[in-house]
Amino acid sequence: MARQRRQDTSSVRPARGTGITAPIAHALRFAGLLSVLAGLIWPIQAAALAWAIAGWIAGDMGRTPWAAAIFVAGGFLRAFCDHRAGQILFDAADQTISHQRAALITREARARAPLGSAEIAALIVQKLPLLQPWITRYSIAMIKVAVLPLVLLLISFWFSWIVGLVLLVAGPLIPVFMILIGMAAEQASRRQMDEIGSMNAMVMDRLSAMLDIRLLGAADKALADFSDRAEALRIKTMAVLRIAFLSSTVLELFSAIGVAMVAVFVGFTLLGEITFGSWSAPLSLGEGLFLLLIAPDFFQPFRELAAAWHDRAAGLSVLAELDALDGAERAPFLGEARAARPLDGPLTLSLAGVVAALPGRRVTLPDFSLKRGQSLALIGESGAGKSTGLAALAGLVPLADGQITVCGHRLDHETADAWRARIALVPQRPHFPDQPLYAWLDPDKRHTDPWPALKRAEVDQVVLRLPYGLRTRLGETGGGVSGGEARRLMIARAILSGRELILADEPTADLDPDTAAMIIRALMHLKENGHSVIVATHDPDLAALMDRRVEVGQ
Amino acid sequence: MKTLFPIIQMILAAAPQAMMRGAVLSVLVLLMGAALLGLSGWFITATGLAGIAGLGIAFDVFRPSAGVRFLALGRTAARYGEHVFTHDATLRALAFLRVRLLRRQVWLDSRALSRLRSEAVLTRIIADVDALDGVVLRLLLPAVAALATHLIVFLAIGWLAGWAIACALLAGYIPLAILIFWQLARRSIKPSDRAEKESQSLRRGVIDMIRNRQSLILDARLDDREADLLSLDGNIRKAAQQLDRAERGAALAITMLVTLVTACALGLGGWLVAQGVMGPAVGVIGIFVALALAETLMPLRRGIADYGKMAGAAKRIGYGEKEKPEKSKPKSPLCHENAGASPPVLAVRKAPLTFIIEPGEAVALTGASGSGKTSLLMEIAGLAESSGIAILGRAPADWPDSSLRDLVTMVPQRSVLLAGTIRENFNLAADVPESALWQALAAISLDAVIRERGGLDAPLGEAGAGLSGGQAQRLALARAIIRQPQLLLLDEPTEGLDEATADRVLSGIRRALPQTAILATLHRNANHPMFDRQIPLLL
Repeated sequence: MARQRRQDTSSVRPARGTGITAPIAHALRFAGLLSVLAGLIWPIQAAALAWAIAGWIAGDMGRTPWAAAIFVAGGFLRAFCDHRAGQILFDAADQTISHQRAALITREARARAPLGSAEIAALIVQKLPLLQPWITRYSIAMIKVAVLPLVLLLISFWFSWIVGLVLLVAGPLIPVFMILIGMAAEQASRRQMDEIGSMNAMVMDRLSAMLDIRLLGAADKALADFSDRAEALRIKTMAVLRIAFLSSTVLELFSAIGVAMVAVFVGFTLLGEITFGSWSAPLSLGEGLFLLLIAPDFFQPFRELAAAWHDRAAGLSVLAELDALDGAERAPFLGEARAARPLDGPLTLSLAGVVAALPGRRVTLPDFSLKRGQSLALIGESGAGKSTGLAALAGLVPLADGQITVCGHRLDHETADAWRARIALVPQRPHFPDQPLYAWLDPDKRHTDPWPALKRAEVDQVVLRLPYGLRTRLGETGGGVSGGEARRLMIARAILSGRELILADEPTADLDPDTAAMIIRALMHLKENGHSVIVATHDPDLAALMDRRVEVGQ
Repeated sequence: MKTLFPIIQMILAAAPQAMMRGAVLSVLVLLMGAALLGLSGWFITATGLAGIAGLGIAFDVFRPSAGVRFLALGRTAARYGEHVFTHDATLRALAFLRVRLLRRQVWLDSRALSRLRSEAVLTRIIADVDALDGVVLRLLLPAVAALATHLIVFLAIGWLAGWAIACALLAGYIPLAILIFWQLARRSIKPSDRAEKESQSLRRGVIDMIRNRQSLILDARLDDREADLLSLDGNIRKAAQQLDRAERGAALAITMLVTLVTACALGLGGWLVAQGVMGPAVGVIGIFVALALAETLMPLRRGIADYGKMAGAAKRIGYGEKEKPEKSKPKSPLCHENAGASPPVLAVRKAPLTFIIEPGEAVALTGASGSGKTSLLMEIAGLAESSGIAILGRAPADWPDSSLRDLVTMVPQRSVLLAGTIRENFNLAADVPESALWQALAAISLDAVIRERGGLDAPLGEAGAGLSGGQAQRLALARAIIRQPQLLLLDEPTEGLDEATADRVLSGIRRALPQTAILATLHRNANHPMFDRQIPLLL
């Protein structure tokens, strides 16, 4: 997948590329201006050096302190310009990344796209920062390459047409080579990213299987195998890199030859062996030194651009991912998930012609209605839409058609938050956030004693067994509690919340009979105490205990 | 620096030759760059002098100009070689670091091994190894090359242009550059640590929020959650800002240093020329070399700015520690009372639980989830601290690991297969002829499925992707069968299988391993005829 995406970006520049930098375009221009300014200071410094050295030969040693002062002043000014430009660029990149991050954080949980939570987390945490070098290095290298070589070329021509010509000959060839190099560098960096990527995939694969490997006594075998594969990967990658580096050497070669030719030409002119090349008077020593000093800087912007090329590739691949995510079909929920006063009136619920709209799928739900204290089972094949049905009742998925009426109101954006304040949901795979159990059980901080509810859900012994009791953080995978225990904890939480309608998704799936019985007892107890209960289940025992059964997917 | 030493040692040992070649060429590139500028400066000044003196014809132009050309081409060639060798060394180090990482994980206990299945833990480990990839190539090699270049340049300039200028270059650059970089490294530690910690929190927070979204919406807590994450983002940005400031500060200082040293070379050169100690042409060399030496310092900056990140990663991964915990306990050969009789395959005496299993027996371990069935199996398999367990009369910890693995095979719940072919997954367990593989597959009635998928060489994706959960589980069972263990431990072998398949699989295992003692945890099928006894595990 990742490889595919990366390849796509090399040929198609994503539309977002320009949009994402639009708010910081001004900052980028200003930073570019500062960088160019810093680059233009160098010829002045070079001139000061050349002027002083020419003075040594002319016997004018008084120039040296002045030249040194100009050189230092210029150098410091250059350093400060670059420093300031760096700050502007960092802030611009920071602003862009944080803007994108905020957009993702406030969107991805509200309207789910068909992308795993881990992938979204990786995009937000690891990949977005890759935009930073793209913005700070690549864009500035582009601006510099457009201005500085041209200026230095004109200066060179001013003194000597042949030096100018040397640079000019190397110059126009450089764009040609830049394309080659750009492609090669991109290929090289992609190759290396792929290498690291596949090596890391191999490591992850083996790490996650390490328990099995260890139990099979296969550690040595697995490690030897891994080493062999890594070695094969290295040999293959190096074969490609050897060629890729050849083309980047070309740039190096041109810049070295350019400098060497300038040096040799200037030397021969000064000796009087070459009498052409400069305009009228023969080139002076100072001018010669000056030309030598600015020649390397003619090539410097090209080298910076080449170095920034893979920052561009990395940045564009992140943009492509953002674009793909932007374009994904989403299922937003109703309302805004803000705290609201519970909907008034006795609890009633009825569905009429409801079709739930999931990304790329429509689920038709049967018509039914429910009153306070009643229970109902949504039954049907796996994948028929039972869970979607529960989600629709809570206003968690949008409707393509039909209407859900709750407590006499239409369930819509206006009423959803108030309706949800009366519902508690017991998901099939509860997910525990990284917070202590007591805080999780009591989200509204009402400080009710949780133990009666825990006892009611027959999960009190489980909590007592946890290493820190109610202060345990169950964390990502609910480490420490089994699936059945997690669901009982969810039921305890539902009891504590005091909400009247309990929605339970497959509460008895994958459980041994004893544990399933505990869950059923807890649900039945809730019903006896006046709660309404809706379960989505394919467990016939559980379904039989409900007042009514409604089949989904007919 | 201390935290990075073990890693540096390790990587250097991994590919000493490739590292050496890379280092030599790095120095060569820097030296040739300095020599090219120095020689060119000298050449132009000398020719200028000769031109003025009218010595045009007498001046030996051939050797200097050939030198300039040689250095220009040689530098390019050396640069190419440097690229190739250092990348080769990097790739070797990459592989080596990862092998060492895997080797360290092998000896973790069962709890830590199970944690390795969590994506968050894996991502963290991988990110850390990635950070360590740069230790040698971005930190050590450029630093060593820079130092070597400065020393060689010192000697060369001292010889060519006098020790005054050589000392000025060395004393101007080395102490101050070290100071600047030391500051940068120091200032990078705290923000790197904070950025890393907050990034992990953000990562976990985002996953939490998305997986928990239904609850958050129902509790009307989504806004709070988003605000929390945004404030984490703010902290990460602050840390990144500090890092950036440190790095840019170092860049500013280095540019100023280069400017000052060059100006110093100019002033000193001018003074020496005025004193008549040296000619102008020689005096110029110092200036040009001072400029060229900037190239040794700038590339180091980025590597050193990452010091904090690398140090943090090194600390977390802890390569410095020993790989395999040494057992201090003496190996007690027998801890069984009646040493005379041959001891049972497995004896468990953990009050109130006491049972033995003889060859050919199969026992089902039952009990509610969370009662410690898996932990008991892990203890028997020697992956957790245990007491009161004897395998052939010896505690698991007293068996050498390889012998214990030969005796006991355990199939954990939700076994993980490797990416690769089905045959490769089998080969991990044992080298047995193909017919034995098919027999094992037939025993768990997976032969038809595998044949349908293209036989033993059909590829599996990561973590066995391509097979259903139940099929992957059965493949893991077949893998255990070909090991022909004396004691087979099965953790929920029928999980995810339908009744009919579960029945066939259990009977198949028994038939395939008639002499093996089998202990299985089950929450259903415990009354399967395969089992001779059921033992309830109570809390």
